[in-house]
Amino acid sequence: MHPNETAINAYVEESLDPVERREVEQHLASCASCRQLADDLREVLRAATTLGLREPPVRAWSRLERAIKLEREHAAPQDAPGAPHAAWTGRVRWAPWLAAAAALALATAIGLRFMPTTGPDPAASNQPGAGATIAAGEAAQSVETELRQAEAHYEKAIKGLEQIASSEQNALDPATAATLQKNLAVIDQAISESRAAVRSQPTSDPAQQSLIENFKMKMGLLQDTVALINEMRKGNEAGAARIASGLKQKGD
Amino acid sequence: MRLTLPMLMAGLALAASAAAQGADQRIALREMTHGVSPVVPNAAASSEWTRAYQGRDRGPEQTERFSRKVKIGRDGRVSIANISGDIVVTSGAGDEVSIEAVKRTRGSQSELASVHIDVDERQGRVDVQTTHTARNDHVSVDYTVTVPSSASLDLHSISGAVKVTGVRGPVRAETVSGNVTTTDTPKLESAKSVSGNVSLTGAATDGDLSAGTVSGNLTAKGMKAHGLDLGSVSGDISLSDVMCDRLGIKSVSGSIEYGGSIAKSGRYDINTHSGTVRLVLANPSGFELNANSFSGSIRSDLPLTIGGDSARRDRDRRRRDTGFNNHSMRATFGDGSATLIIRTFSGDIIIAKR
Repeated sequence: MHPNETAINAYVEESLDPVERREVEQHLASCASCRQLADDLREVLRAATTLGLREPPVRAWSRLERAIKLEREHAAPQDAPGAPHAAWTGRVRWAPWLAAAAALALATAIGLRFMPTTGPDPAASNQPGAGATIAAGEAAQSVETELRQAEAHYEKAIKGLEQIASSEQNALDPATAATLQKNLAVIDQAISESRAAVRSQPTSDPAQQSLIENFKMKMGLLQDTVALINEMRKGNEAGAARIASGLKQKGD
Repeated sequence: MRLTLPMLMAGLALAASAAAQGADQRIALREMTHGVSPVVPNAAASSEWTRAYQGRDRGPEQTERFSRKVKIGRDGRVSIANISGDIVVTSGAGDEVSIEAVKRTRGSQSELASVHIDVDERQGRVDVQTTHTARNDHVSVDYTVTVPSSASLDLHSISGAVKVTGVRGPVRAETVSGNVTTTDTPKLESAKSVSGNVSLTGAATDGDLSAGTVSGNLTAKGMKAHGLDLGSVSGDISLSDVMCDRLGIKSVSGSIEYGGSIAKSGRYDINTHSGTVRLVLANPSGFELNANSFSGSIRSDLPLTIGGDSARRDRDRRRRDTGFNNHSMRATFGDGSATLIIRTFSGDIIIAKR
């Protein structure tokens, strides 16, 4: 029996009482999948602390509301009164979601560096002579490394969402599925072009920004696709229409 | 292609091409959402299912009418959830909601009775829900609804068009497969579709308006909002006579055209991968432009003062020295009070004067 994700989350946040904490610790010692989940959650927390304050776009709120609603719906049966032990259930169903969320949080934390700013560019140091050349070279190398990290995290998050989507695939109707497939392919093509541009010109701002932006677009479309599949699967058509509201995939 | 939903799509793509348009498609969609349609494990099976389904649907059309009036007050709330069929809403005088619906099928007449239109009346609001009780009906329901002009509207459909005219309360209109059209809806909050077009005329709100589609086009005329949040993946976005303080538009392969005004201290952020971005500005007092494209060109008909801070200029010079050609521009027009950030990968950026 595994502890549920709420218990693991509480463990990571150090909010369990000593008895519960010891129980979870004992389980983690012998369960690789729950240990991985705990590690992912720690990464989410760590990444969250590195994020600066940014005004969320309008669409973020509806997406958050939707996520919270879905989470409640999923959590309800497990947390129902009378359950044998609310913190311990048969399977950790949300592990793929959390793993994807962890990867996304990290990608976002790193990817924010590649967003355009209107102020002076801190990377564009104004040091004269050989020192400037060395500093510029080091900065370029650092940027390239961080971009590759962001890429890796986005790809991990995308892979997780793709796994979720493909495991629940029969819920979508053919026409909608074809539309989503076609548009995911459009984004894939854009990612491919941006990636090639970054490889050929690693310090190009437009290439870097384009790559990150396209990853975000794909993440957004996949997130909404999975949410739509979930609603369709439950036969909740009205809910599915609301989920569709997020399907403009802007990737936040 | 590396993607993704691969088995799902491979199996379903053929069915999609054959799964017809209009009512056929709508009913197929509804069946799938109920989870009662045949499992479609591969292309061959899905094609067979599609042929069988189409054969069932070629009889004469059977209809059944539904009519109901509900008093909700002038500022009441109306929600309509439909699965298959259109929703058309107009405003009327008085404080009543008039619900006219037509159930349609080309299957058996008895199917019509298995589809219920549930009207839930409460103080100041009415919620209309379409419920299909049979597992394999082929019924669509078209709604024609009149609401008090100040009512607030919340419309959701899976497969079918959503059209709203003249409703002056807050409006949210969303569908998965179908067009969304709003006209003269001054408090429009949201208009979205997955595979249909979104067309907005005379939309305005004191707050934020969000509109988008995945594969369709988004066109809007005469819009006014504090914040506009618009998007598409492969469709074009075309806006004319727009006023807003904050704009966010994103697309991947679609072109974007913004025609309207630029507010002092406004922020306008436009991003497309391969589409062209064209801004047609009406007498802007000024803006600071940060435009860049990897391989597209940047052109302005307005007289811009090129350049930014010295650090940026130095970096640009270094890039020129090393052979970079990133087609980027930082420039100022007029008082520089607004901020325009425009990015493309391969699309051109054009700033024109109206």
